[in-house]
Amino acid sequence: MGTSDGKVKGSTKIVDAGPNTQRWNVAIVSEGYRESEMGQFAADAQQFANTLLAAAPFDRLRAAINIHRVDVTSTDSGAKDPKCGTSGGTGAKPKTYFDASFCTQGIRRLLVGNSGRVMNVVKKLVPQVHIALLEVNSPIHGGSGGSVATFSKAPGAVEIALHELGHTAFSLADEYEYSRDCRQGGHEKHSQSEPSQPNITTNKNRATTKWARLIKATTAVPTTVNANCKVCDPQPTPVPAGTVGLFEGADYFHCRVYRPEFDCRMRNIGMPFCAVCQQAIVKKLTPFLPT
Amino acid sequence: MVKTRKAPAKAKGGKAAVKVRSKPSAASKSTKPPAKKKAAPASAGSTKAVRLTFSYDGPAVKLVSQDRVEMTVPPTDPLKGFGKQKGFWAELRNKQDKTLYRQVIHNPTRNDAEVFPDPDESPEQSIAREAAPKRKGVFVVLVPDTDEGDSVTMCRSPLDKTGPGRGIRAFASKPAIKFRRFKLMK
Ligand SMILES: [Zn+2]
Repeated sequence: MGTSDGKVKGSTKIVDAGPNTQRWNVAIVSEGYRESEMGQFAADAQQFANTLLAAAPFDRLRAAINIHRVDVTSTDSGAKDPKCGTSGGTGAKPKTYFDASFCTQGIRRLLVGNSGRVMNVVKKLVPQVHIALLEVNSPIHGGSGGSVATFSKAPGAVEIALHELGHTAFSLADEYEYSRDCRQGGHEKHSQSEPSQPNITTNKNRATTKWARLIKATTAVPTTVNANCKVCDPQPTPVPAGTVGLFEGADYFHCRVYRPEFDCRMRNIGMPFCAVCQQAIVKKLTPFLPT
Repeated sequence: MVKTRKAPAKAKGGKAAVKVRSKPSAASKSTKPPAKKKAAPASAGSTKAVRLTFSYDGPAVKLVSQDRVEMTVPPTDPLKGFGKQKGFWAELRNKQDKTLYRQVIHNPTRNDAEVFPDPDESPEQSIAREAAPKRKGVFVVLVPDTDEGDSVTMCRSPLDKTGPGRGIRAFASKPAIKFRRFKLMK
C-alpha cells in the first residue's frame, strides 16, 4: 500500500505567471492514475486550471498565480470504495500512491487521501507551494477539505475543490446556516462572539460591520431577518442577486449571524464567490501581483 | 510554455514528515534587535518565509517540521480587535509576546466533516456536515521569516461544554484562547 503503489514522476508548471518566489503557487496532484493515464491527468489538470482561472476573482488575478501539475502514478486506477453501510460502495480496493478512499469514517461521499504524504511530495517538487489539491481519478462523486482539497472526476466535483480552496487558502467561513439539514435542532442562535473569518459577522451595525463599505445606503440592514430561528430562513431574496447587505443565517446557525449576500460559493457549491469573499481573496493575493 | 521539474531520486512519502532544518539565512544569524526597538508588523510581500507543518490527530496538534523557504507570504490578518473573536488562528510573536503577523485558519482539528452529496441524491442541499470524530492529517502555517519573530502561538475556541455546540469544534462559540506555542528555530 501507499508509496510502493506508484511513483513520483515530477512536476510541470502549466500556468506560468512568473518566478515561484513571487507568485502564489497552486499544485494539482494526481491520485489513482496509472502510468498509461498520465496523459489524461495532464488534460484534467489543465481543465482544473482553466476552471480556477475563469472563476471570479481569480480571472482578474491571473498575473499572480502559478499552477503546477504534480505527476504521481499509481499501480491501479481510481480510489478505494468500501461497502459503506446502506450508502453503497463497490468494494473496490485499487492500489494507489496516496491511499485515497471514499467512505472515510463511514461517510460515503467523504473522499480523503493521505494529506501528509501529499505535502511531502509537493514540498520537494514545488518548494514555494501555497496550496495543494488532489485530483482523484474516479467517476464517483466525492471530495473533502483540509490542507489538501480533494475531489473526484464526477461532474461538478471540481466545485468541491473551489469551495475548499475558500476555506484553506483564504480562511473563508461556511455561509450555510445548518449542519445536516435545516430541520436539525440546536442551530437556532449563534453566540455573541464575533467570528474571525472575513465573510460572516454578528455585527449588524451598518457603519461598523466587517464589510460596511460594500453596503449601499439604499440597502436595508439587516437585509433579511429569519422569522423562525428553529429552521433555516425559507424566504427568497428580497433584493437583486449581487446585492451586499446583512442576510441572517450562516456559520451553521439560523439566527444572529449574517452573511454578505443571499448566495455565495461558501454557501452553495456551483455559485460564484460573493463580493465580500472576492474582496478577501483579492486582498490575500494582491502581494503576488507583479509590481 | 511549460516548465518541467523531475522528481528527486527518491521521493519519500511516509506517514510522518521528516523534521527538516534548512540552512539559516544570513539574516537569521544576525544579532537580535535592541529590546526597546519598536515591533514592526511583518510586511506583506516578504520573500522569506518559515513554513511550519503540523500533524493533528483529533484535537492534538504536533509540530512536524519547520522549513525556511524563499517565497512570498500572504498579508497578515488584522492585528487589532481580534481578542474576543472566536475561531482558529496562528500568531507570529516576538520575544515580548507582541503579535507581528496573524493567519486565520479554517479549523483543521474539527470532529465533523464537510460532505458534498451527489447532486442527484440531494438536489436542494449541496453541502452538509457529518460527525467525523477520528480525523487526522496535516496542516501548514506560513509566516514571514524575520529577525524579530520568535515563536508561533496557536489559538482556538474551546469546546462548548453545554448547549447546542457541545463537543463539536465547528460550533465552538467562545473567544479563542492560546493552546500551543512553538519556538522558531534560528
Ligand atoms: Zn461569500
